[in-house]
Amino acid sequence: MKKLLLSLLLVVTLSTPAYAKINVCATLPWIGSLASELGKDKVNIKVLVKPSQDPHFIEAKPSMILAARDADILMYNGLDLEIGYLPLLFESSRNRRIQPGQPGNFDCSRFVNVIEKQPTADRSMGDVHPLGNPHYHYSPSNILRVARGMAQELSNVDPANSSSYRTNLASFEERLRNRQIQWDNKSLKGKRYVSYHKLFEYMAKEFGFQLVGYVEPKPGIPPSAGHIEKLIETIKKTKVDGILVTPSYGKEEAEALSKKTSVRVIIIPQDVGSVPGTNDWFSFMDTVLSSLQ
Amino acid sequence: MRRGIMLLSLLIFLAASNQAIGADLESRIQAMEETLKRQQKTIEEQQNIIEELKDQIRTQIAAEKPKTAVAATEPETQKPAGTTGLFGGSALSNPNISLVFNTYAYSSNLTNDELKNRAIRGYTTDGIDRKNGFNLDSAELAIYAPVDPYFNLYATIPVTEDGTTVEEAYFVTTSLPTGHQIKAGKFKSGFGRLNSQHSHVWDFVDNPLPYRAFIGFGDEGIDEKGVQYTYLPSLPIYTILGVEVLQGDNKTLFGADATGGPHAYTAFAKASLDVGDNSTILFGPSVITGKTKTSTVQANSDFTGDSTLYGFEFTYKWKPSKFQGFKIQGEYLYRSQYGDLTDTSLGTVQRLERYQDGFYIQSVYLWNRWEFGARYDMLSIFKDDYTLGGAKQDIGRRPWRATAMIDYTFSEFSLLRLQYNHDESDIYGKVNHEVFLQALFSIGAHPAHQF
Repeated sequence: MKKLLLSLLLVVTLSTPAYAKINVCATLPWIGSLASELGKDKVNIKVLVKPSQDPHFIEAKPSMILAARDADILMYNGLDLEIGYLPLLFESSRNRRIQPGQPGNFDCSRFVNVIEKQPTADRSMGDVHPLGNPHYHYSPSNILRVARGMAQELSNVDPANSSSYRTNLASFEERLRNRQIQWDNKSLKGKRYVSYHKLFEYMAKEFGFQLVGYVEPKPGIPPSAGHIEKLIETIKKTKVDGILVTPSYGKEEAEALSKKTSVRVIIIPQDVGSVPGTNDWFSFMDTVLSSLQ
Repeated sequence: MRRGIMLLSLLIFLAASNQAIGADLESRIQAMEETLKRQQKTIEEQQNIIEELKDQIRTQIAAEKPKTAVAATEPETQKPAGTTGLFGGSALSNPNISLVFNTYAYSSNLTNDELKNRAIRGYTTDGIDRKNGFNLDSAELAIYAPVDPYFNLYATIPVTEDGTTVEEAYFVTTSLPTGHQIKAGKFKSGFGRLNSQHSHVWDFVDNPLPYRAFIGFGDEGIDEKGVQYTYLPSLPIYTILGVEVLQGDNKTLFGADATGGPHAYTAFAKASLDVGDNSTILFGPSVITGKTKTSTVQANSDFTGDSTLYGFEFTYKWKPSKFQGFKIQGEYLYRSQYGDLTDTSLGTVQRLERYQDGFYIQSVYLWNRWEFGARYDMLSIFKDDYTLGGAKQDIGRRPWRATAMIDYTFSEFSLLRLQYNHDESDIYGKVNHEVFLQALFSIGAHPAHQF
């Protein structure tokens, strides 16, 4: 009887990993979207930040701590974008699997060719990110690198399903190759834009358009009248194709600027799901790039 | 004629040679065609091999690329911002350091002496430790870093005009089994809501009346040496359970000399759930109990006995964006205390029993960079039993206070706050009309966005 119980227990404990899905906790919606492309039916995904929220100003809500507690992997943007709440989540989650240095701690930015590093920045320059521009989710080439890293990390944490992660990665790459051809035909080369916040630099580099000015004089600092005057001059001089803002903020300032310069305002979703029809990263990029045209 | 023959022979020669050339060409072309075919075959074979190799490389890249990518980008992205420290150490040799500067100007219709002697009758003899004019609360140094894969270490060192104190210094475990955590050293107890927060993240300059009456004036609160154990179970809603064993140094509630060892014990539970995308509620009970030896009950008297403080906290927060939000927060505190009250001049001892309560409720509305706040606090809500030597004492009507506040946030790191208190906590004394103008600044490591 004892032996039977023991073997039963052994069967139960040993067989759990075979059908248990791994818990992925993603800070941002695009990370959740990528994880679901690569993990498909093998993962449960919880996304902490809502598509409508500004990722810079998130509080560590208790529900987020609870999600991190049960995570096998915590995936995050990195480059200090989540600096306000991520250190709290690590500690308060009471979950050793996701602590820095563990396989369950996945910093997506490790795989990114980071631009605009400002090691000597201080806060008089506004809300700058000394480690570099953290908004690389608009960059297909970097997302491809992140996806490869993510598939590998999923395999590390869940080796039993590594073949399916590899297959999912291959089909992701295939989809990306096909989309890239469509995206490259969007002819954004040489276009000029003004944007509210420093969000689109990776995209500008990759698709060959220019950002000639910013509505914010410094990252995170609202514009003064003098700065707007200067910006209007720049817009008139350089023939700008649009003023770029996200749905969450900057719209009012951009519309006022648009009235004075008769340059149109283009609303760019800040993340997957922040405007209708952007349910995954591919459709998100479709929307972003067609809005720019 | 000769010319004719010559022409003919030339023609014949030409034709013959032409024929010969034709035959030769044909054979050569055939040979070339064969070679071409052979080459085509080789090319096709090679093409197949190339395709196969490509596939192999692709799968290899899929498997290996991350590692090489890490190797390629890690030195770039994870490089510390230049060399740091005297000896060019890495970021590892530097903990996170921040400094919070808290200063305020204060104005009251009462004199500094009146403020100092302003007790809450029946609750505490402690007065208001503020002076009209400029006050420097502190420049608070906070240092923290992971120690190793097993512990994080924190120290909060406020530097004031009186010197340097250690407000907090503790370690937290990071690698116990999931859900469990131990904190030990000197730290703010998990009792209640305001108590567990640093004063510079409070929505108002000062703490509310029930805190002042039961835990003490100032912003230290129940800040004790001891050990805390917390457990976060995997439940559908966030629930945290905690217990603490504390030294019991708090002057108002316990007193350092009450016993020869640790003499305060805490238990608390907090639950939280999200209501929709933008709203969160947090609530839960706390209790702290222990031995007391204090001299703040009545003038010229010492009290020894037992005290228990029960608390219930509730917070609702709605924050749809960076520029809009609403928060309502309240706590109810109930204290039971019994023991001996010794008159220090006469030497007489009387039995003292106090069962008293109080609450505060506060609300803040965020609009762009402005915050508008209101607070109401009151004591003796349901209970104001004060029995001395078996005789119930009349401590008069309820002490209360009302507060209005407005603040402006320049950035995440700086804030200016204007606050007015209408204070009727001294029921036989004057009304205290007080105005604060507070400035809060933070430099160094990024502050944590606690809920």
